[in-house]
Amino acid sequence: MIRSILSLLLRALVVVSGASIVTFILLWNAPGDPALAIAMARYHQVVSADVLDQVRNEVGLDAGFWSAFKAWIGPLLAGDFGKSTVTDREVWPELVTAMSYTFPLAMLALVCGMCVALPLAILATKHPGSVLDRAAIGMASLGAAIPPYWLGLLLILLFAVYLDWLPAMGALSTTHMVLPALTLGLGVTASLTRIIRSGILDAREQAFLPAFRRRCVLSRNIGRDHIAPHATIPVITVFGLELAFLLEGLVMVEVIFGRPGLGSFLVNAIEARDFPKVQAVVLLTALVFVVINLIIDVIYQVIDPRIGEHDA
Amino acid sequence: MTLSVSGLSTERSGRIILHPTSLSIEPSARIGLVGPSGSGKSTLGHALIDDLHRQGRIVAHVPQSPDEALDPLRTMRFHWHEAEAALGLPHDAPRQQQLFSALGIAHGDLRKRPWGWSRGMQQRFVIAMALIGSPELIVLDEPTSALDPVVAADSMDLLDRFLSGRQTAMILITHDLALAAQRVSQLMVMDNGCLVEQASTSALLNTPKTKAAKALSAHRNWMPHPC
Amino acid sequence: MLNVDNISVRRGKSPALQDISLTIEKGKTLAVVGESGAGKSTLIASILGMLKPWCGTITWSGSPVRTCRPALVMQEPRAAFNPAWLLKQSVLEPVIARQSNLPPKRLKRLCAGLELTPDLLNRKPTEISIGQAQRMGILRALIAAPPLILFDEPLSALDAVTQKHTARLIAHLQAEEGFAALIVTHDLGYACAHSEEIAVLKSGRIEEVSTPQDFIASPKTKYGRKLRDAAVSLGALERAA
Repeated sequence: MIRSILSLLLRALVVVSGASIVTFILLWNAPGDPALAIAMARYHQVVSADVLDQVRNEVGLDAGFWSAFKAWIGPLLAGDFGKSTVTDREVWPELVTAMSYTFPLAMLALVCGMCVALPLAILATKHPGSVLDRAAIGMASLGAAIPPYWLGLLLILLFAVYLDWLPAMGALSTTHMVLPALTLGLGVTASLTRIIRSGILDAREQAFLPAFRRRCVLSRNIGRDHIAPHATIPVITVFGLELAFLLEGLVMVEVIFGRPGLGSFLVNAIEARDFPKVQAVVLLTALVFVVINLIIDVIYQVIDPRIGEHDA
Repeated sequence: MTLSVSGLSTERSGRIILHPTSLSIEPSARIGLVGPSGSGKSTLGHALIDDLHRQGRIVAHVPQSPDEALDPLRTMRFHWHEAEAALGLPHDAPRQQQLFSALGIAHGDLRKRPWGWSRGMQQRFVIAMALIGSPELIVLDEPTSALDPVVAADSMDLLDRFLSGRQTAMILITHDLALAAQRVSQLMVMDNGCLVEQASTSALLNTPKTKAAKALSAHRNWMPHPC
Repeated sequence: MLNVDNISVRRGKSPALQDISLTIEKGKTLAVVGESGAGKSTLIASILGMLKPWCGTITWSGSPVRTCRPALVMQEPRAAFNPAWLLKQSVLEPVIARQSNLPPKRLKRLCAGLELTPDLLNRKPTEISIGQAQRMGILRALIAAPPLILFDEPLSALDAVTQKHTARLIAHLQAEEGFAALIVTHDLGYACAHSEEIAVLKSGRIEEVSTPQDFIASPKTKYGRKLRDAAVSLGALERAA
């Protein structure tokens, strides 16, 4: 038990550190002059070569890759995310502010998506091939096919421009969260419906189910006690993978709706080559992934201890 | 009380796989349902169980392999309690103990899931579960083919011993006449979805009448066959 | 002649086979019986060269066993064929793989011996009965005339009547073709009826080797006796008087 927990934590450490180191290398070697990007972000105008040199010196760009790497990773190991190269302010408080916009939105989209997808999938699988089932599949395909940036714009046009019911941009009140949550939620609902539906249909094909019916176990109980656990395994597996798409959609949605969340934070940071900020977001994202995958592993252990038994 | 069914038939995708069949089963009967594969033995077994359930009789079924009877994600205890609840019975520890020791699985750890038990023990657990409500009939579908011979023989012996002196009738579904002949007193032969012949075991072995029964009887032994 | 000389095979850390020695003469049959997990499949995999024994050697008439290109007949007849291919393609594959020539009429003669009509060769594995599929598997094993054929539970997917029929066809063809056969089975009745020698395998070791007559009359080991008594009680075997 202790060994498996340790190995899980070790794997988590490898993923998180790997992701941040790779990002650092990518950023460092990205085309274009980082000093120019930083200076543009600082002064919002074309600057002279002297100023560029000064920026280079301040940020440590001229000291070479290794010293920059050391300058970044040293404080990070002590829990210090460093200061923005553009504004010279601490990254951590700004990151916390950005998260306070992003996490409620992501949670709302996930919870709404789950609340719609689960009953829809269960209803749809009552009678496979029925009108309801086809409608659910249709909705799921549609939701998967519509990209969030397009849907977001459509929703803005409809609800903010023509009907003027909801605000389009910003994050001042909770009503500002409705449109972005809808945009994100449709994609989430679509993919969840698809996964849960196929999970249930596959679980129903289990060879042992006829024996339970012949043992006079009520079909309600069979659904709850035998089909549901078997359906859960593929659902959480795919869910862990789909999370990447959720994050991708989140970035786009925040930029479209002008929300000052992690998405906008990241896009601005990349444009300005604000290394510490980009690194902070990457680290955070990797952490979220690792934590969710840890939770999924724990759920596997509870439902079916055989999974991962022969893992290294 | 005699169990009887009439006019059982089954159709699958427009093809009749079980022609209308009627039969009656005396208490304590030992019946073998034999025939080549695809002859509709299991189909008849299933239809028989479903029909008797509709009549409100207690009938139990033991599928061919424990994989077809137990949920790998649930503990043995869960299975047991579920089977009791399905029959509307409260949990009864002495009955459980009695059945477990009769089938030689009293040492099994009920907190484990099926795959934590050997296959032979799983199969005996399934048989014990089938016996919970003192059924009037227990239908065993190819009980030996998924198990090692030693384990299969042990399971059959334990079941035989448990059933002797009780009212529970037994139907043994198998393709192997030699196996059936060891265990039952009456034989029913199926061919192409029809029940073609019924006779006592010795009569069927010695004087088979139909073509299907003759083939089964002629090929029941492995030993010397003039080629 | 197949000569398995004192081999031990490990799977993972635990030994799967220990100190196994066997010989099969040309044209003879050895049956290996035992419970599941005893190492029967490991033995087959080792003889085919898919697992390497960490000690001991397996030879065919003095040279490594793969030089004689042994054939294998598998347990699940339909699963043993590529479902997308016509059976003809699968059956002729060994000939093509060996780049040898198929003597004229050999296919026809073997088909007749296995009671397969040639038109079945133009079907797919799912379009024939399971008994026919297993005979196709035997046909594929025989087609390139290997001197050694391994049978892994060849009859367990078939019903009792088909089992005996197929076993007799195999015996006929063996008499004609003269291949050595190793049959892995848990059916003692089959093993006794169609082999010259029986080896009892338990937990990776050979418990005893004897002729069927001796084995039925008096098994030498406790496990052998259990195996025989089970077979008797399941009707697979009649105890010799």
